[in-house]
Parts: sequence; C-alpha cells; structure tokens
Amino acid sequence: MCQDAPLTGSPERAARRLEEIRASRRTVLTAAASGLAFSSALGAAAPADAASPRTKKRCYVLVTDGCRPDEIEPTLTPNLHALREGGMWWPRATSMPVMETIPNHVMMMTGVRPDRSGVPANSFYDRELGEIRDMDQPSDIRVKTIIERLNRRGFTTGTVLSKEYLVGVFGERATHRWEPELYIPVSGHAPDLLTYNALTSMVEELDPHLVFVNLGDIDRVGHTDFTGTNLRLLRQAALLDTDLLVGQFIDGLKSSGAWEHSMVIVLADHSMDWSIPTNVITLQGAMDEDPLLAGNVVIADNGGADLVYWTGPKGKLDKAVKRIQQIAEATSGVLKAWDRRTPWLRLGPESGDVVVFCQAGWRFSDPNPVTNNPIPGNHGHPATRSIPFFIGGGHPAVKAGKVSSAHARTVDVAPTVAKFFGMRTPKKRYDGKPRI
Amino acid sequence: MTSTKTTPTTPTTAPPASSSLPRRTVLATGAAGAAAVGVLGTGVRAADAEESGQTGAADRGKAGHEVFQHGVASGDPLPRRVVIWTRVTPTPSATPGSGKGKPVTVTWQVAKDARFNKIVRKGRFRTSAGRDHTVKLDAKGLKPGKEYHYRFIALGQKSPVGRLRTAPRKRAALDNLRFGVVSCSNLEAGFFTPYRALAARQDLHAILHLGDYLYEYPTSGYGMGQDNVVVRPHDPPHEMVSLEDYRRRHASYKLDPDLQALHARYSWILTWDDHEVTNDQWKAGAENHDESEGDYKKRRARAHRAYDEWMPVRMDGTAALGDGTRFYRRMRFGQLAEVSMLDLRTYRDEQAALPGVDATVSDPSRSITGKKQMAWLKESLTRGDHAPQWKVIGNPVMIAPVTFGDLPNDLIDPINDVTGILPADGAPYNVDQWDGYTADRREVLGHIRDHQVKDVLFVTGDIHSGWACELPMDTSTQPLYGDSYGVEFVCSSVTSNNLKDITGAPQLTPLVETAILANNRHIKYLDFDNHGYSVLDITPERAQMDWYVIGARDDANTSIEWSTSYETIAGTGRVTAVDAPLEA
Repeated sequence: MCQDAPLTGSPERAARRLEEIRASRRTVLTAAASGLAFSSALGAAAPADAASPRTKKRCYVLVTDGCRPDEIEPTLTPNLHALREGGMWWPRATSMPVMETIPNHVMMMTGVRPDRSGVPANSFYDRELGEIRDMDQPSDIRVKTIIERLNRRGFTTGTVLSKEYLVGVFGERATHRWEPELYIPVSGHAPDLLTYNALTSMVEELDPHLVFVNLGDIDRVGHTDFTGTNLRLLRQAALLDTDLLVGQFIDGLKSSGAWEHSMVIVLADHSMDWSIPTNVITLQGAMDEDPLLAGNVVIADNGGADLVYWTGPKGKLDKAVKRIQQIAEATSGVLKAWDRRTPWLRLGPESGDVVVFCQAGWRFSDPNPVTNNPIPGNHGHPATRSIPFFIGGGHPAVKAGKVSSAHARTVDVAPTVAKFFGMRTPKKRYDGKPRI
Repeated sequence: MTSTKTTPTTPTTAPPASSSLPRRTVLATGAAGAAAVGVLGTGVRAADAEESGQTGAADRGKAGHEVFQHGVASGDPLPRRVVIWTRVTPTPSATPGSGKGKPVTVTWQVAKDARFNKIVRKGRFRTSAGRDHTVKLDAKGLKPGKEYHYRFIALGQKSPVGRLRTAPRKRAALDNLRFGVVSCSNLEAGFFTPYRALAARQDLHAILHLGDYLYEYPTSGYGMGQDNVVVRPHDPPHEMVSLEDYRRRHASYKLDPDLQALHARYSWILTWDDHEVTNDQWKAGAENHDESEGDYKKRRARAHRAYDEWMPVRMDGTAALGDGTRFYRRMRFGQLAEVSMLDLRTYRDEQAALPGVDATVSDPSRSITGKKQMAWLKESLTRGDHAPQWKVIGNPVMIAPVTFGDLPNDLIDPINDVTGILPADGAPYNVDQWDGYTADRREVLGHIRDHQVKDVLFVTGDIHSGWACELPMDTSTQPLYGDSYGVEFVCSSVTSNNLKDITGAPQLTPLVETAILANNRHIKYLDFDNHGYSVLDITPERAQMDWYVIGARDDANTSIEWSTSYETIAGTGRVTAVDAPLEA
C-alpha cells in the first residue's frame, strides 16, 4: 500500500534503523542544551564555524508536507502568506511524478529526476528481495545530494525530518541530524512542535549552513481527516499550527540578525486530495483474472498511483504492458495508465512497468480493497501536483516581491541551494534549475 | 446568443456610416481621452499619419477615388508573424459583394517606424473580385515581442498605417499582458464608443473580441432598446443570407471609424459566436434560419467565407482562403499566458427544447464543443510541463452555471430576451450556454480537477452584461466548501441590448441582479444594464479585469466611465473586488 499513508512502518523497524545509524562509526551523539540529541558526523559536533567556509549565508529548506498552494492565504496561514508576499513566488510550481513524499524530497536534495536518482515512489517492488518495501534505505539514492556536495566543500548541513522513512533514506548524509526518538503511533511522524524545537535547537547550537526540514503535520492530519473531502476541519487546524511555528522560526531569524544572511525556501513535496469511501480502486483482482497476467503481476500501492510490475517472462513484457493498461483504464476511477517507459515520466525501472494514476476524489487500495489504504487523504496522482513554492529571506539573492510564471519544481531546490552558496553547477548536472 | 426580432420602428435620421465625416471630426477633436484617434476615417493616430505622409481621402492617386475605404487590420499575433488585412476598391463600382473590378496587385510593407524608413518585410499580393478584393496574408519573419507599423500600396494610394505587435517568444518571462475585451457590437444599436475608448489607450497588447462582431438582421430588425430604434442602418437592408449579403454587411461595419481606429491600433484576436452566421446557430441549423433561406450549411459556408475574407484571422492555421474553417486555435504569450479561442457554434448539437429540457441538457451524447475541439481544449489546459501559467480561454458563451429559479415572474420574459433562458417553462438556465450542455462542462472542469490545473481563466462575451464568477463543480455545496476550478470574467456588449433596454425599466434590474447573486453564490459580480468594454491585465501574480461603461449608445460623443474591477490571485480560483482600475 501507499507507504506515505500513516499506518505503515513499525516502531521496531524504525528503532532498528536508528540504532544502525547511531551505531555507525562515523556518527556521534550531540546533546544539545535544549535537551535534544542530534546525530553528527564524527568531527563535526562542534559549532560549524571552525571548519567551514567563512560565510554568514544560511539556507533553510522548509517542506510543508502535503500543503496545497491555495492553502497559503492571509487568514489560514498568515505567516506563510507574508513570507510569500515579501519574497519570491512561483505560482505555477508543481511536484513531480510520482507525487509522493520520498521521491520529491529526494528530488529536492539531488536536483535530478527519479530515473537518475533511483527513487521514483514511496513504495516499490524490490525485485531482488521479491517484496514490496519503502524506499527508505540510504543506498536507494544513487546520486550525490546537495547535502554531500556542501559537506565536501566544508559547509555544514543539517536534516530535521519528521518522518521515519525520510530519516532512513537520507541516512547519515547531513553533518547534523535530528532523528526523532518516537513517532506518533498511527501517523508515523513526529509532530511539528517537536520538529520545530529540533530545528531551533540545531540552528541555535550547531548553526549549519543548510538545514533541510520536513514538517509533517499538515500531510499527516490531511491523510486521516475524515472530514477532509469537504470540510477539512482538522487539516485547517494543522495549517494554523504549522504556520504559527514557521512564523516563530522566521521571527527568530530576524531577532538574531541571521535573517539578513538567510534564504528560506518554502515548498511542499506534493499537494493533497481527498477521496470518499466508495471511491476506492483495486486493480489486483482484475489482473489476477486475466489469463496472461494471473500470477505475474505485483502492485505497489502509492495511494494516488499504482506501480504495476510484470514478473512474467521478459519476452511477453510489451504484450503484458498493453493488457495492464487496458484493464486499468477500463476501471472506474482510473485517470490514465502509462507505460513506464513513456519519456516524460522519467521514473526509471524501479517504478515498474505501468504507472496508473487515479482521478481526483479516488484512491488505490491494492491488493486488498479494505485494508491496504483505508484513509481518505491521498496523493501521488496528477490532482496533487500543484505545490506552494516561494523563497523568503533577507539575503540580497532574494528579490522581494518577485513573482514568476516559470514552472518551478521540487527538483529545482538543489540547484538553487548550490547557486546560493556559490557552487558551480556543471552542465547537465541537474535536471532542475536555480530559481535565484 | 439569443436575441429576439421585434416589430421594427421607424429608423432615425441618424446618418449612415458611409456619410460619417462630421462624426470623424467629433471623434478627432471632442471625445474625452480620445483626441489622438480617429482621423481620416482610418483610425490612424494623427501623429502617425502625419509622420508617414498619409493624406487619407485626399490622397486619391490615379484611381480617382479612395482605394482603402475599409481601413487596415491585423490579428492572430504569433512570435514571428501576424496576419495583416485590408480591402482595395479598384473602381467606384467595385463595391463589396458586387463581384466587379479587375484584379489588383497590392504592395504591403512592415516597418519598424511610422515613416517606413526602416522597412523589415514587404511583398506583393494579388487580389480580385473572387475574394471580394480583400487582402490578407501572414507577415512573416518578424521579431518576437516587437511593435511594427504596416501599410498597403495600390493604384497610386497608400493605405492608412496600422500597428501590430508580435507575441513574445515562447520562453519569455513577461511582467504583464493586457487586452482590451469586447463582444456583441451591433451597428444598428449604437455607435462603437467602446472601440473608440480602447483605440485611445496606449497600454494594450491586443484586443480580444469574443463574438457577435456583426449582426445578420435586416434594418430595424434588432435595433436599440424597447422600440428597436435604428441608430445607423445596416447594409444590406435585408437579412444577410447570400455571399453578397455577408460581404456587404462586413464592409458596412468596416466603414465605422471607431472600428477602423481600433483595428488599426491593435492586433485583434477574435472568435465568432452565432450572429456572424445567424442567431442561435448550431451545427446543422439555427433559430434564425428557415427553409425559405435555403440549405443551412450552404448559408453557413457563405458566412464563413465572407468572414475569412474580411477578418484578420487564421483558419486552419493559415491566412489563405478556402483551405478550411477550423477556427479554434491557440496563441501563446511567453511563459505567462496562452489564449485558446473556442468555436462553440460549428460543432455543437442543437439547443435543448421543451419538453424534457432537464434531461436533454445533461445528456452526455450532446456536445457544445464537438469531440475534436474538446480534446484540443483539454490539451490546452494540460500539456505536460509546457502549458504557460495562465490558461485564458476565449469563450463565446458563459460556462459558469447560472440558475434563475427564484426570479419574479414579471421579469422572466425580459431576461429571456437578453440571456436566452427559458424560465417561463420551468427550465431555470440558459440552454444556449454551457448550461445547456452540462456533460461537456463537467468534462472540462473534471479535467481541470483531475490534473489540478491552476489559473484557468475563461473570458466570455455573448450575454450583454458584465459578470465575475468562480467555477464550482457543484453550485449547491460551493458556498460551504469553496471549491472552484477556474474563473470567468464576462464583458458586456459594445452596443447590443441588455436588460434595461428591453424592459425599459432600469429600476427593476437591481431586483434581478440581487436574485441571481443570491441564488448563485459563486457569482461575485453582475451588471445587467451597462454597455461598454473591459480591460484584462494578466501578471504572474494575478489577473484583473476592469469594466468600463458608456453613456447613451446613440450619442457618438457619449461618456466613458470606469465601473468596477475584479481580480483572481494566482492559484486560488477565487474572485475578489478591486477598488481601482489599472493604470493606463
């Protein structure tokens, strides 16, 4: 099922992974004055200034996970709205397929599309293991991230990620890392208040040049908000709370004087859609009833997108792809079934052979129509592609009041950060473009 | 749109357009804010005419009469080419539609300057009576985002000088894009004051005309107000049916000095609605067509041919005649916007008729766009990462759902005259609009929702009134949930009758407007009683529409006032009032 949904990831697994990270020979635990503990690269536990380039520049990438662009408005999110109005704004910005959390966070930090990064979705079928799993292993990312590139040049970096699979996939890359001790059992994430505390502590005590932050409340509450289809009551409460925390963070930068040297990138990894209980799509049964496909198809459910893998003979792949497409597109609620090799998708073989998107107001639940995805909030499909994307900050690189029609994307974050820190951007290095 | 033929009254003594010299004088000297426009019956700015050595009617050359009587025009701007147009009158007897006159070779020039010292493109064009001596071609090889001057030379005379502006290159980052927006210009119902006002502005990039550029009715068949007064008579005096009729009617409109001025000043982007052929037309017929007028499709073919000859547009992607009549098309303006002009007459099924109207309007087998145009429209909205920010849809009839269920019975007939709704029979919506083809509307809005398309802006005419609307999937829940999948701005008519003109009782209009706004919470603005034009300004941050209204339609020197403004902020699909118009 969709591993961006909040019922996944056992505490045991998370704890085991964190133990592995902390047990690494390259990691030390730093006890901050706030009482929080950060994992830091060996030799980097001290404040950054000693070994870092002599620059006051700071960059904060704040991912308001799952936030819709139309939710940034003066009443509901006054602080985010003010940040947008005072900075640079790209109204046409979008997430990239598959519109899920892990791939888009990876695109932000790598600057490349999934066919290069190796991370196309949250949940995929690992052909080597023969099982469906989250893309939550550090080795799942096949290319260097901007985090590593900055580290190599003596900058320090930090990750403050509220979701366990993000902690997993980014692993030990950052100089300083907050790895939550506990996640909320149902939602599988650390609440934004804790994330905010970790962020402010890291900034005050370790002061990395780049901090990459995921604020998970908006997304997590959106997933489980059963008033979500229309009223979105809980969602709105989460938006208010997260907005307040962002406002406090910005105020802190301003009061400390750091604002004048800072660039704050605010964006979402994807948008959010809500389905009603009757709008559930399950493709596995129809595939199993087909003589060609029966027993030869595995589906990785990503909420708004099903990744369908052909496991039969290679010689029958093309025929199977067409059959899968036919069956999927004949199913109510399916928007489109794409041959994964369609060039614009750029998803790579990890995403299977057919990528099926649902219509707005629907969700996939595969293979079981009841148990695999019972929650209404949903993303991964084109109805969740639009995202907020704006840059605030007092650094001169941030042109106050500039609004652009350019198509900004999640994949633009890494090149933007690289340009901010004056790093060369080799030709064709990034799929994204710097936005400053 | 629906317009009702009424019993004719005696035409006024207003001078016909062809004897409009006094009017030209008024325009050139008296109209507030328009002093620079409209000399010499061509619309060329006085300064430009002087600079370019134009002498207008006095320049009769070897022809001994005015060769370029119908002005010049340009349209359908693309980054490197724009359609330019004129009509030559080789001899006094070679009147439009006459079929008389020898072939003429016309020289055309496009220059950077008004004096034509820096000509960048030129050529020769052969025209003849077979195309009613019209000249239309694509001026190619121009530079993107630039303004040029153009003119024609024939029979020893030079045409008025027109100005055109190419579209910017595909990837250009624009600060803004500004259009004049007009529709429903009925010559008999008044002077084209809105055209005069727009021609006086220096801040526009192009003109959007959303249909009903001209009307088919006989003189006094559809005039001004309740009494159907003829401010200026149509030519020919009878309803246009034959090819000669259509050509003559086009020509009579092209003699209007305000229309000439606006055509000369800006490139136009047009679509047609019904009256370019005949009232309430659909793919195989029309309300205003009967057997005595012959085969409908042949009539329509004649209307389309005359339109192609006389208008600065491309059909089937070319300026050539006779190579097709596909009129829906796109024009892109950098990364900021793309304008997709719809043709909602040529492919639509017949309008719903009583009884059974409720079931018919939602019949998925019926279409207002036709299958191919629907696919094309959806492609306009979602072309991968390649569609620009604002998807502007030039929309001949309203797409916003409008219910009229709770209106007072006494007002039903007058509203029906204006809007074409059928409330007296219990059908509370306009079956000539998208409301009469709800399956198509669901398909479009569903496509927008499925792909989370942002910044879709329908710009509409037809209904002789000003509207600003949000576009919900479900009007019943929209007030609570606020879902909106785009915005629609509707301009009023240039001259065609609106509600007060028909009721003769403007005091009733507020009741109607209040009732409609109360029943349709997604509609934020409605003005049923004014004529005028709009100015649409698009930036990356928002799209704003200003509504300007005119005074008396039969006063050539009438007032022009700003009425109201509304905007939609990027990404919201919402409409909000703005307290000031755009700076010109």
